[in-house]
Amino acid sequence: MHGDAPTWQMFIDGWELFRDPILCALGAGAVLGFLGVYVVLRRMVFVSAAVTQSAGLGIALAFYSEIHGGPAVDPIVGAVLLALGATMLLAVDTRSFKVPREVLLGFAFAAGGGATILVGDHISQEAHDIQSILFGSAVLVRGLDLVLVLATGATALGLHLWWYRGLTFASFDPEAARVQGLPVRFLSNFLLVSIGAMAGVSARALGSLPVFAFSVMPAAAALALGARLSWAFAIAALIGAFSGVAGYVLAFFGQLPVGGSQTVVVSGFLLLAFAVRIVARLRAR
Amino acid sequence: MTTSSGERPGAGAELLRCDKLVIGHRGQALLPAIDLGIRRGSFLAVIGRNGSGKSTWLRTLLGFLRPLSGRVARSSPPPLLAYMAQAMTIDPLLPVRAIDLVRWGRLSGWGFARPEAGDGVRDRERRALDAAGAAPLAETLFRDLSEGQKQRVLLARLYARDPDVALLDEPTSAMDAVAERQALAGLRALTRERGAAVILVTHLLGLAAEYADEILLFDRDGGAIVHGSPATVFAAPAFKQQYGDLELRHAR
Repeated sequence: MHGDAPTWQMFIDGWELFRDPILCALGAGAVLGFLGVYVVLRRMVFVSAAVTQSAGLGIALAFYSEIHGGPAVDPIVGAVLLALGATMLLAVDTRSFKVPREVLLGFAFAAGGGATILVGDHISQEAHDIQSILFGSAVLVRGLDLVLVLATGATALGLHLWWYRGLTFASFDPEAARVQGLPVRFLSNFLLVSIGAMAGVSARALGSLPVFAFSVMPAAAALALGARLSWAFAIAALIGAFSGVAGYVLAFFGQLPVGGSQTVVVSGFLLLAFAVRIVARLRAR
Repeated sequence: MTTSSGERPGAGAELLRCDKLVIGHRGQALLPAIDLGIRRGSFLAVIGRNGSGKSTWLRTLLGFLRPLSGRVARSSPPPLLAYMAQAMTIDPLLPVRAIDLVRWGRLSGWGFARPEAGDGVRDRERRALDAAGAAPLAETLFRDLSEGQKQRVLLARLYARDPDVALLDEPTSAMDAVAERQALAGLRALTRERGAAVILVTHLLGLAAEYADEILLFDRDGGAIVHGSPATVFAAPAFKQQYGDLELRHAR
């Protein structure tokens, strides 16, 4: 996105080119924003970081394998597999190691990030791709990535809306839900798998950093605004979707990297929400 | 304790049974083996000093903890259980209204996958809130309530479930004296009018004596379990040893 100063006419003329990445950002932002309410309220921000970092490693390993004569694995498969693997770390009982569960997530985050850089060092001809894995530069997305993001997002969102009452009860008062016979473990695993799968497919298209931002910032902003739970899900989804599109448009006009632009836009919503809270508090005095 | 028709067990039927149940942590027994049946319509208060094993027993009944030996048997079909925990388990940041929490009380098994119920259930939720003295709190965010008000809402959730067995772990610890008495009266009404069994862990000896049919005393220091009517338990040496004369006068 360098050259002459971009104009709206150029944007409209290039719509065929921009449509898929914008749809991808819209879908991923909306669904990750929605899921983020669970991430934030269940104190799983670290999980989200570990999952997105692992997805990045999965993409890097897929590139490495292809370049160095290993089995041809589509990067999106690598991303989803490692993202789901990171979510499964939550199922490991760490008490026998005398450490809290967060240590394993920290391991996934640090080891995933470090390994991505090391693997990236060995696939220098694909250095641009590694940049996009880590920070996102989704100027273009493949048709397959778009289909997977939208299909995974629609499936996850549909099931989440259908099972909304069970998922919220089991997530926020698991003991009582268990006493009442709800399949708490199934619902908890479904939640983690849906976060892992969505982060995995989105990371290939958008990059790990914006995916992490979409899975935390919109929900945090909605909750900071004081929204009721059901409204928080809706507002977070809207902020995520808007930020995905607005970040792309900003990147086009500002000739900026897309992932960084999307991350800054979505983070701006959290700052805005904090500012609204501060103003509301001052006015209440 | 089993009905051939598969319907809920009738009045006086045994809903839960502890068979030579030994409870504890990490292989360390807290108390001698417990043999006890919980019958429909009964109100059992569980008393004992801090750390005597009351909550451990309750959590073993609920299946959260495994017995060291013995077993907890449930009637067939299994009784509908409702539980109110000792500590506030709802996250203080969770932005749900009191009525939303009460609605969770209506969920069972995979019922969340079915469409939401209509007006009849809405009336039931309102009645549950009324019974717990929480009706004015229905639209308030749970996190904005005082601890005592939160306990009233959780009690309403328990009523909304219309359980066969209600298990409550110090459910009135943050309530004022009036609300405490209302809560105990409400639980007794649950046993008398709905035929539910209530198991109440409490330190309120006077109210336990007034409302409960039976008392179960855990005396961990003396390695004893005393079970019987309030008069029987308060006359037991184990009770006097645990609580002394002062508490005995309060209890009576």
